[in-house]
Amino acid sequence: MISVQLASLLTSGMLIIIGLFAALFLDNIFKKIIGISFITEGVNLFIVTLGYKSDGVVPIFLPGMVKDVFVQNSAYPLPAAMVLTSIVIGASTLAVMLALVIILYQKHGTLSASKLLMDDEEMEAGE
Amino acid sequence: MDSFIPLLVIVPIFCAILLNLCHGKDKLVKLLALIFGITLPITPIFVNYGNHFFGGYSPLFLNSSWATNLPSTITNSILFNFHPAITYVFGGMQQIFIFILGILTFFVIFTSLNESKRASGVYTFLIFMGTAAVTAVFLTDDIFHLYIFFEISVMTQVGIILCSNIQRKHETALKYMFLSNIAAPMLLLGIGLLLGLTGNVNISDIIIAIKTGVVTPDNPVLLMAAALILFGWLYGSGLPPFHSIKSAMYSKATPHAAAILQVFTVFIFVSLGIVIIRIFAFISLLRWIIMIISALAMILGISMAITQHDFKRMIGYLAVGELGYVGLGLAIGTIQSITACLFQAVNEILLTGLLFIGVGTILYKTGTTDTNKLGGMLTENPFVAFIFLLTGFAMAGVPPFNAFQSKLLLIQSALNAGFPELGVLMIILSIVTFMTFVKVFYTVYLKPQPENMKIINKKIPQVTVISMVLLLIVCIMLGLFPNIVTNAFSQFAMGLL
Amino acid sequence: MIVYLLMLIIILGSIITLFQRNLLKAAIISGIPGAALALLYQYLLAPDVALTQAIIGTAILPVFLALTVYKTVRMEA
Repeated sequence: MISVQLASLLTSGMLIIIGLFAALFLDNIFKKIIGISFITEGVNLFIVTLGYKSDGVVPIFLPGMVKDVFVQNSAYPLPAAMVLTSIVIGASTLAVMLALVIILYQKHGTLSASKLLMDDEEMEAGE
Repeated sequence: MDSFIPLLVIVPIFCAILLNLCHGKDKLVKLLALIFGITLPITPIFVNYGNHFFGGYSPLFLNSSWATNLPSTITNSILFNFHPAITYVFGGMQQIFIFILGILTFFVIFTSLNESKRASGVYTFLIFMGTAAVTAVFLTDDIFHLYIFFEISVMTQVGIILCSNIQRKHETALKYMFLSNIAAPMLLLGIGLLLGLTGNVNISDIIIAIKTGVVTPDNPVLLMAAALILFGWLYGSGLPPFHSIKSAMYSKATPHAAAILQVFTVFIFVSLGIVIIRIFAFISLLRWIIMIISALAMILGISMAITQHDFKRMIGYLAVGELGYVGLGLAIGTIQSITACLFQAVNEILLTGLLFIGVGTILYKTGTTDTNKLGGMLTENPFVAFIFLLTGFAMAGVPPFNAFQSKLLLIQSALNAGFPELGVLMIILSIVTFMTFVKVFYTVYLKPQPENMKIINKKIPQVTVISMVLLLIVCIMLGLFPNIVTNAFSQFAMGLL
Repeated sequence: MIVYLLMLIIILGSIITLFQRNLLKAAIISGIPGAALALLYQYLLAPDVALTQAIIGTAILPVFLALTVYKTVRMEA
């Protein structure tokens, strides 16, 4: 059986790959955005996994704990603190993108990325 | 006082929030935006140099009295140099850059408020917030802090272009967000790899860890982290392969907004570039890659600028091309070249901002930026045309102006470091830049006026002309007395290597 | 053991989300990997992250996505 940390790293890698696949190769813009949220979640999982320690304890010092034992066993708290911010940033960028998608749908009546995100040059050539 | 350093970020954020609350009350927003705009260039002058440690947790080596009762496992190891707090570093180099940012932001706010009848609180909010974000990116010594403000600056850039009323802005904004949401997690992944290797996100600590052999420099994970951070850098600064989306962003914004967007871009370019050079300078492959990409940016940007017929897009591509010079200076990596590249970055901020504001006057008068529909503007406003011509000369590197000094310094440093090819390339491309500019000037100002061209507004506001003249005076000052800035820059470059 | 199960749910859930032709279903199913991720964070000794992820990953993001679907189109063309 592989260790929890390695399995978790593999999971985060899989999430990033699935997300990248969706963001690059699916045509529906809604699916692309879901894929992008998977990329962000994968990266977050990766960073949280860095702080994990097998058989460790949660890095919160409660009254009654022995200091030396706690220092030996606690997980590394810095990655978790970083990921908190990162999750919120991911959610807010997603919200902005969804708002833009709604506006674009009202304008063009489609969710197909190849039609919505055409280059300006291509537009001029098409007209 | 060192403890005033966070004010550089806090003041703009505070102004931004207050302006956002005042949205709807036009006169109040105009008044407040002007008052707050003046504080932006003034704050960096009065803040003293030094390091600021948030929460007051300074590292032990600065405060050895704290270390007296600690066990030797801490005082004799790398932990002695460990930075426990988020650190802001403020020196002469940072002061000059933030001062220039303040001047340009002030002029942009000043002219845009004067040219539009209604003042939008949200728009000024976005400008101030973006200024705060890039200032924080520039000051911080903490790579994750840098990532957060990088994301905020991306959001404000998208917001700023959504405030314009140009066609197809939503498409460009969505595309930019899209790429940002692929590139920014990659940057974060690179930061995560560095964190996993060194257990730290402070740049100085990462460098110490690599130099003292805690992390072996030829670790492949380090190379992977370098590649991922480089990817984020390329996206953030619009080097190829992202050059066309960046210039599309510029063309979708109003000219003032484009002026401020390119300042943000240069700031992100310089600060992330310095981070990459500081951490990964020992990987020679990386420096070659930066050199090739910068040369490519110069060639692609400037050659694509010639073929454009939308004037704003043309300057957008020129701005991307000029960034290539800065990148080359970073990649050569000697003290002289880094001094030159920082100087070139300052000049580019000033000159491109000036060009975009100049485009603004034409858009204001005629309502179009399509060069096919323009012509004969010289008789309409000879003075602005003269300033525009001088700006073009400055951008191409004609002697009394600032870009001449920085380009000369860059070419000299390329020759001294043993890259004569790069010197030749820079000279050729600056001639091509000049050619592009002459073409623009001819089509807009000299060519006979097309019959269907309409003049919407007769008179260009005095404020715009005054701010253009003042910016040009700053350019000439820097050209005549380059020592004002180069001393601080070369000191910074010496500390870097 | 439950940790590995959670990881499996995350990967399978994300793949299943992307295969839905009904976009509303996709929006709702995207909450499943989010919830599993929140539980996984608890096992990875980061309870504060788990709380944030539980709110954002299982409630806010699927609701945002579902609202977008209501404002646009239900089925993938």
